[in-house]
Parts: sequence; structure tokens; C-alpha cells
Amino acid sequence: MEEKIEDLYGYVQERCLWQFFSRTWDRQENIDGVLGKAEQILSGQQPTNETPLEKLHYADAVIMVKDFRERFPWIRECGAAEVKQLMDGLKTRLVETVITKSTNRELSHHLY
Amino acid sequence: MSTCEVAAVKPAEVKLVARDRGGIINPMYDCQPAGAQYAGIGVKDCIPLVHGGQGCTMFVRLLFAQHFKENFDIASTSLHEDSAVFGGVKRIEEGVMVLARRYPNLRVIPIITTCSTEVIGDDIEGTINICNKALKAEFPDRKIHLVPVHTPSFKGSHVTGYAECMKSLVKTIAKGGKPTGKLNVFPGWVNPGDVTELKHYLKEMGVDHHVFMDTEDFDSPMLPNKTIETHGKTTVEDIQASGAAIGSLSLARYESLPATKFLYDEFTVPNHLIDTPYGIANTDAMLRKISEITGKPIPESLVRERGIALDALADLAHMFFANKKVAIYGHPDMVLGLAKFCMEVELEPVLLLIGDDQGSKYKKDPRIEELKQTAHFDMEIIHNADLWELEKRITKGDLKLDLIMGHSKGRYIAIYNDIPMVRVGFPTFDRAGLYRKPTMGYRGAMELAETIANTMFAHMEYTKNKEWILNTW
Amino acid sequence: MPMVLLECDKDIPERRKHIYLKAPNEDSREFLPIANAATIPGTLSERGCAFCGAKLVIGGVLKDTIQMIHGPLGCAYDTWHTKRYPTDNGHFNMKYVWSTDMKESHVVFGGEKRLEQSIHEAFNEMPEIKRMIVYTTCPTALIGDDIKAVVKKVMKERPDVDIFTVECPGFAGVSQSKGHHVLNIGWINEKVETLEKEITSPYTMNFIGDFNIQGDTQLLQTYWDRLGIQVIAHFTGNGTYDDLRCMHQAQLNVVNCARSSGYIANELKKRYGIPRLDIDSWGFNYMAEGIRKICAFFGIEDKGEALIADEYAKWKPKLDWYKERLKGTKMAIWTGGPRLWHWTKSVEDDLGIKVVAMSSKFGHEEDFEKVIARGQEGTYYIDDGNELEFFEIIDRVKPDVIFTGPRVGELVKKLHIPYVNGHAYHNGPYMGFEGFVNLARDTYNAVYNPLAHLAGIDIRNEIPAQLPERIREAA
Repeated sequence: MEEKIEDLYGYVQERCLWQFFSRTWDRQENIDGVLGKAEQILSGQQPTNETPLEKLHYADAVIMVKDFRERFPWIRECGAAEVKQLMDGLKTRLVETVITKSTNRELSHHLY
Repeated sequence: MSTCEVAAVKPAEVKLVARDRGGIINPMYDCQPAGAQYAGIGVKDCIPLVHGGQGCTMFVRLLFAQHFKENFDIASTSLHEDSAVFGGVKRIEEGVMVLARRYPNLRVIPIITTCSTEVIGDDIEGTINICNKALKAEFPDRKIHLVPVHTPSFKGSHVTGYAECMKSLVKTIAKGGKPTGKLNVFPGWVNPGDVTELKHYLKEMGVDHHVFMDTEDFDSPMLPNKTIETHGKTTVEDIQASGAAIGSLSLARYESLPATKFLYDEFTVPNHLIDTPYGIANTDAMLRKISEITGKPIPESLVRERGIALDALADLAHMFFANKKVAIYGHPDMVLGLAKFCMEVELEPVLLLIGDDQGSKYKKDPRIEELKQTAHFDMEIIHNADLWELEKRITKGDLKLDLIMGHSKGRYIAIYNDIPMVRVGFPTFDRAGLYRKPTMGYRGAMELAETIANTMFAHMEYTKNKEWILNTW
Repeated sequence: MPMVLLECDKDIPERRKHIYLKAPNEDSREFLPIANAATIPGTLSERGCAFCGAKLVIGGVLKDTIQMIHGPLGCAYDTWHTKRYPTDNGHFNMKYVWSTDMKESHVVFGGEKRLEQSIHEAFNEMPEIKRMIVYTTCPTALIGDDIKAVVKKVMKERPDVDIFTVECPGFAGVSQSKGHHVLNIGWINEKVETLEKEITSPYTMNFIGDFNIQGDTQLLQTYWDRLGIQVIAHFTGNGTYDDLRCMHQAQLNVVNCARSSGYIANELKKRYGIPRLDIDSWGFNYMAEGIRKICAFFGIEDKGEALIADEYAKWKPKLDWYKERLKGTKMAIWTGGPRLWHWTKSVEDDLGIKVVAMSSKFGHEEDFEKVIARGQEGTYYIDDGNELEFFEIIDRVKPDVIFTGPRVGELVKKLHIPYVNGHAYHNGPYMGFEGFVNLARDTYNAVYNPLAHLAGIDIRNEIPAQLPERIREAA
């Protein structure tokens, strides 16, 4: 499981700009939003996208999931429980890297 | 003068007027610190330190790179808000020491002020004293000349900034002493091609000399061993010796006179101001003056060079150039010199644009007086001009031009009004290699005339306007 | 490998915090260069000023707007003829610049009257132009001219004009970056939602942080046209002043340059709930991904796939031809900031190029997080690199080509290293599919440049037996 999470983490680090938004709350919102949608898609659910932000997180997630399935064929076999575990693990890794342990001095400015 | 007109003609009028707007649309010149930086890079083992915001340095380095297709080293004190509040002299001190530590061959640092640091009122001379002590303590075996250059951007232009830095450099470094027998030559802000041409004349005449600044190596090679030789060739010793020269030949009233005047006032080095040597007659006058100062005769070789140039000009003047109307803009010394050159080859410089806020000085310029005496056509000279003065006379007025001569910043006026344009002066980044070619001297006159002709020819061809004339030329 | 202190920096050891050499199993949370910090005086940094960040980079791109620079003439002169951002109306933005030509008397007595006069003159001389941005500069900021009051007065007298003010003198902040920020935040506060435009498509977006360098915006616009997406505002490539007043009307903000323009996207999200989508517009792989995301947002995936298929069919074979010949090329990128992370992976994936060193003039730590996450190991990541550092880094990594500005390009030419203009491009556009083929072509032409081989020959030595390492072929 750790190895699988590491694979996914490596992909996100390399490809996804949404993890690097300007402030902690934006980063958190994106991580939660995109990985939430990704979890739904990977578990075979059709996400409901009501707000503009949800639509955007879906757009980011759907592309990422497609790449996950191409690059990491094992993910196609994962059941809902395992998907959740993967996404939770990925979320933890990302939050740690881009929020809690980031030394970026601008992350918590209250203004943009 | 044409004799075919029988009707009475009104006498030609030469008007000197100023831009009548307060603001500028499309400036002809950069600001004073830019000119100071140009003077500074002419010195060997020298890195100017510009005391101001970083843009004051970054853009000027880019400008020089555009014109010369070369990199020049210029440093900034990187002024920030705290300096605006508390003063920025600490940043000069830090900048000087960082430069001295990281560039072991460095010998001269002109400290060039800008509008911001002049408004703040930083004490440059006092800071230099502090720096000199620190340098002496840390580098007892090195002598680094710190040169105060006051160039607030809200005075003059890059032309006066150049003149100011030239003066500051001789003021700080020049010495008197045993006569060197050498001639100081101050050409003003010119291209390496002009410096090469001037040095050629001095060599032909056997005149020992220093050119201030010797910018020949601004046209520098790509070498197998990858050394970088893009820098001024004028050394500290050359500048020191300027105070003991047999005389100063000042070729540019607005660019070199303050420096040569200082050398006269301080070291009684005789100062010879002559008209900037553009065209045949001005070059003749320069060679006669050099001969007069040094006692060396003008050699046969230069008589022949003059003849080659005249021979080439004669092919072009009354056939192609006569009655063609020209606008010229740029540095005043160049514009006034080129106006005279134009009249030698029968071109009619009907509009001259010269810059910055020196109106009263221009009124006393004998070259303008001479144009008033000799022009057989109406001429307008605009001082404190911007390039909108040129553009609006073409697009909204009734000015009909056959040729524009000026630097690259006016290129769109020519492009959008279908007027042939020959690039002269600084900067000329939209044409290749011009910095290498002389505009001064006989060769400069010849090459310029040929460029004008070829530009007109190409225009005739592109516009299919009597291009068949050239079928048999 | 932690942070690196170069030999040339032994006298300024604080530079160690700005230079990182990436080694295996490290990530940016351990070693993130300090960025957006003050430059050490006298280091020969590449940085410009905040005024330039506002005027030259963003405001001066607009194709219908007078750029009134309140200060001495130099600030106007220097931010004119230094960019390649054409427009579809004859390049009004590149042809003109305006200055109040401030003189000593204005420093002493104040420059507000001069500004007022210059504004009126500018509108009078060009009566067809009705929009203006007024910028302060170092001296007018220092003497405290109230430019907002002047502008308010003029707008009252001239009801048909609209004027925006940017108070961002050159000494503000540490680099161009401060100017980006001031203009972004000023615009959202003062001008967004002051105008409504006609909506012509069910799909609307702003395209933010693309300045039409050599026609980037115009090339990408052909994609949006084919997808039926209405671009409310281009911030600011080939853009108009009034378009930017309507930014609140878009459903989506697509951001390319997050450094210069991320602020306005963030504010549009905060104030109007318009989501922000960051994409990379350089590179095949990235461009396709960006288009897919935009189309997924609007639910027009099929149109997006058709566009991508068309473009791949047209351009991919050309790209692959270059990739075959550029594989293994070592590139350095010394530009502003974002192009480091936009390009490092796209040239690697699409062209097989290895980026060995990168230096950013005005990037923030966020930019370094991005580039270190994407970039390779064994690569140098430098904040605010200076000239001596460049020489030393070149010695260490020996790049085959450097993407940088023309002045540094002239410098490295002497070291027989070809450069490609990383700011204004050699022969762009470089964005989009066609654009990336242009980038590949210019890189190929630089790297396969016969002069580099000739430059290394000393004619006093024997005639060299070997041919150039790289032989050009018909493209």
C-alpha cells in the first residue's frame, strides 16, 4: 500500500499544479476537492457536480484518474475500500509536503 | 543653387522652436543615468554601480545589449523601500565591497545616482570617503577609484548624463605632471566604428593620442579559448595622463565639452572644440585642427581617402539626392553634423529634432547659426523634441519626407508611413552591425551616403517607383 | 545534497540559501531556496524593478490604452521597444509610450499639474483613444504626488475616458514581482465589475497570465474559437482595457502565468466564486491536458478530443522529428520564474531534453516548490542568479543551449553556447501545439548551429579531422 501511495504521490507532485496554489486554504481545498472526486470516480460512482468549484475539481480529477489507470494498471483492480485507503494516504502525503511541512513563507498570508 | 526658377522666391527660413507640449510621446533619449553608464563601460576594469532601483540598471544593460549585441557589466545597489525611508548609503557601501571582493581586477567604480537617490539626498561624496577607508583596510595593495557621478533623471537626458560621467571620471582620476606629448581625443558618444576611424587618422598622421573612451572592443570576438573581451579599452593610466596632454580635441559640444573644459581649468590642457566631424568639410576641419595642434602634416594617404569618398558621393548627389527632403533626429552633435553633411550631398534636411531641456544652449550653438546662413530651403529645428513631433508633422501636418535618419526607436514612423529610413546614432538595434561602421570622417560620409542610396533604391523597388531608373545606372 | 555555496559566492555566503542541487530522495520541504528576498547590492543580479513588472509586463500589453508614466523620461524610454507582444490592431501598444517628462521644478514644487497637463495632451493628440493607465515612478512616489486625485479630476472633465492608476515605484518590493501584485490587486479593487459585455456562448472564461508573446494569445484563441468558448478577457495578451473590466462575468479562470497574474485569479475566486484552473500552455502533453480539463469543466469533452486529435495529427510528426534529434540535449533555463516549471518537464517529455540548471529572477518560493517537484535530480535550482554564478554553473553542468534573455545570450555566445530567447522567443509563438514545434525548431537550430563547431577551432593548430558532432538534416 505504501508503495502504491508513493507512486500516486509521485505523479501528483510531478503533474498537478492545483497542489501548489498560493495559500494553505486553497491547497487544502484543492487536495480535498480533487481527491474526493477522484475517489468517487475510482470507486465507479458518478460524482454530482453542482457548484463551479465542484465542476473544476471534477475536471482535474477525471484527467488524473485517467492517467492513474494508464500508468498504474493495478488501480483498476482496487475496490472501494482500497481506493479510499489510497486516497486518504495520498492526501496525508500531499498535505504534509505542500502544507504542514512546506517552508514557503507566503502560505499563510491572510491576503493574496 | 537652382537657377531654373524665375518667379520670386521667398528667402529660406530656419526656425528653432521647442516642443510645445509638457508631456512626451515617444522619447528620443533615455535618462541621465543611462548616459553615465555608457561613459562608464568605456573604461577598462570598471563596473559602474548605479544607485537606484534595479530597473535603472537592468534596462540600460538591455539597451546596450540591443545596440551592440554584447553584454556589459553594470551593477545596481538594488534600492528598496527601506532606503527610501532611511537613506540608501549603506547599500552603496555594501555594493562597493561586494564588487571589490568578487572582481579582483576591478579598478574603477563610478557611483551613478538616479532620480530616486537624488530626491532622497544620499551623500555620495561622504559615502565614498567611508568606502575608501574600508577598501584601504581590506585591500591595502589595491587602488580602486570611486567616482561620484550625479545624474538625477529629472535633468537633461542620456546625452548630458554621458557628459557628466565623462567629466566626473577625469575629475576624479586625471593627474597633471610631466607632459606626455599625447593628444586627448574626446569623440563624444559614438560607435566603435567611429573610434576605429578616428584612430586611423591619428595613426596616419603619426599623432600619439588617447581616445576617451576607446570603445573599439565593444565589437568583440568569439575566440577559440572562450575569453570575453567585451569592455572599454581606456585604462586608469590613460585617464590619469589626460591631465598632462598637449591638448584636448573635443568633437562633441554637448557630450565632451564638460570633460575637456575641466582639463583646461584644472591642468591648463588646451581645449579645442570643433564641429563634430560628419561630412567632408567637418572632417577637413578636424584634420587641419589636428595638424595645427601637433604640427604634423596631413599625409597624402588622407588626401586620397578624401578623394575616394568625394568620388563616391559625386555619383549619388545630384542624380539621386538633390531636393530630397530629410528629417534627422538623435543626439544634437550628430544631428547638426549630419545636417551639414546632407547639404554637401544636396539632400535637404528640412526637419531636425534635438533633445532635452537645453534650449538656451542651442541658441548659442554656432552650427545652428551656420545653418541659418546656408540653408536654401525652409528648415525647422525642434529642441526638447520627442518623436511625436516628427510623427504628427507627417500624419497630421503637411510634412512630406523622402528620408528619415535616426535611431531605431523611431522605426514605426518610417514603417507605417512608407518612408525610407536610414538608421544612425544610438540605438540602432533593428539593423545588423551598424556599431561597427563609421559615420564620422570621410569613410563615414561615404558609407552613410551609400547606405542612404541603397535604402532609397530598395524603396523604389518595393514600391515600384521608377525602379527602372536603376536599369542602367 | 543540500544547498550549495558556489566558489564565486564565498564572500557573500548568504547566497547559499538561494541555490539548490537536487539529489535523490529529497523534496522541496527540506531544501527550498529562499526566494522573493532582497538582492545583495553589487552582485550583478538580473532583476528589474516593480514599475517594470506593472507597466512592461502587464499593463503595457493592452492594445487600446495610453500608458502614462509619471516621472522622468527614462522609465518610459526603457519600457518601450523591449517586448514582443503584437496585437491585432497594428501594435498600438508597441508603437507608443508616454511620459510626463518630469523635471527638477516638478520635484521641488510637485508634479500633479504636469501630470494633469500630460493626460489632457495625450487624449487630445490621439482623440480616438479613450483609455489610460497612469503609473507612478520612484521620484513621483517619493515626493508624494497624489495621482489618484489628478485622475479623478480629469475623468470628471472628460466623461468619455476611463483611467486606471498604478502606484508602484521601481524601488517597491524586491523585483518585478511587486509590480505584478500591485496591478492585479488594484485592478480587481477598482475596475472589475464596472462594465458588462454581451455573452455570446454558454461557455465563458478568462485566460489569465498570457501576454501574447509573438502571438501566443492569438494562436490559443483559435482553439477557444473552435471549442466555442467565449473568452471574456485575456489578461492581458492582445487584450483591451474594457474586456478586463468584465472579468467577473466569466465562469472559469484559466491561469497560465500564476506568478504575474495568480493574484487576480485568487481574488476573482474569493469575490465572485469563479474557480481557478492552472494549466501549462507550453508543451504538447500539457496543452492537451489543459484543453481536456477546460472541456471537462464545461462538459464538452468530445469537442476537446477532436481538437487535440486534429492538432496531434498536424504537428506531432514534426515534434517527433525534432525529439529524435534533441534527445539528451542539456538545457539551462534562466528566465523570470514560471517558465522554469512550465518548461522543465515539457521539454523532457516532449523533446527528450534534460534541463540541468534553472535560475529565476523574480519567482517566489511557490515557484520553487513547483519546479523542484517537477525537475530532475542533478539539476541546479537558483533564485536570483548573478553573472559570476552563471559562469560557475555553466562550468559545472555544461549546457548545450540556454533559454534566457538577449543580453545574457550575448554573454554565453562568447562561451560558444547558443541561446534561445526565453522571454520574447526567437521565432514564436511557443505556446500550443504549433508553438511547441516552433520551440523545438529554434532549439534544434541553436544546438545544430555550425558556428559553434567553427568557434572552437584555432586556425593556428592543425586542421581538425572531425566533423561537427551534430550534423544538420533537412527538417
